[in-house]
Amino acid sequence: MSSVNGVVPTTIIVAGIALAGYALLMTARDRRMSVILLAALGVLEILLLVQVGIIVAGLAGGERPAGLATLIGYLIAMPLVPVAAAFWGLLERSRWGPAVIAVAGLVAAVLMVRLHQIWPVIRV
Amino acid sequence: MSPEPTASRPGSTRTGPGRLLIAIYALFALAASARAGVQIATKFGNAPVAYLLSAFAAVVYIVATVTLAVGSPAARRIAVLSCSIELAGVLAVGTWSLADPATFPDATVWSGYGSGYGFVPLVLPVFGLLWLRRWSRRSGTRRTIVTSAGDAGDAAGDGADHGEGGRRGRGAEDVAADGRT
Repeated sequence: MSSVNGVVPTTIIVAGIALAGYALLMTARDRRMSVILLAALGVLEILLLVQVGIIVAGLAGGERPAGLATLIGYLIAMPLVPVAAAFWGLLERSRWGPAVIAVAGLVAAVLMVRLHQIWPVIRV
Repeated sequence: MSPEPTASRPGSTRTGPGRLLIAIYALFALAASARAGVQIATKFGNAPVAYLLSAFAAVVYIVATVTLAVGSPAARRIAVLSCSIELAGVLAVGTWSLADPATFPDATVWSGYGSGYGFVPLVLPVFGLLWLRRWSRRSGTRRTIVTSAGDAGDAAGDGADHGEGGRRGRGAEDVAADGRT
């Protein structure tokens, strides 16, 4: 069970870093927010929601991490990251839109690492 | 109002690179407040100094986020102040946490110069100040023309009120012009 649960966060880390790399490339090439970036944010959002589902399932199953309050904070914050980035990317019609999205990709990756520190039991 | 090319002339501190800056500031405002809130609510006795400094950092980040987003001359002055406090805070707390680890059994946002956050807390205020300086110079050029067109007495009066702005490397005339808008 544990090893399977590790697949989603690993995918999120890889996807987040890949998204950040591509978005930074767009910034470097002075491109605006594109449909590709928007779609990538959508994929990231779905992955994060799956991760939230896994954690909620763990909590519903009676498991409790030491930092429960922090974990709940992460559950709320995680799905908001790509949504906020998409809004800001659409608002900023310049190279700095993709730059904000790059930050979102990195944040998603960092959140997964932190999540693992908060609750190593579920192998996230 | 017709849209202007933002790349060449941002309308405010919240456009262009400012958007990226505000996004990161908002992120840190959120992270620091949440962290400080949880720490103070659940285990304040463990490391009171560290947790209070986390809360202070959170307030500084919130002020910087809001003032950068507002972008008015008054807001920019507050933003310069909060970015300066932030930079001083990172350097002071960073040094303090290394010199006296006993006071910090638990980390703050600014411990080890922000090493727990990839040193972003150390770099962020520098970029914030550079961005604010660039913007105030740009608007300063424009407003200097307005000042020279008239109201010299008014500008001089405001200049006296805001004289402390000079030590930040800005001309008294810029500050005076800011004060009138």
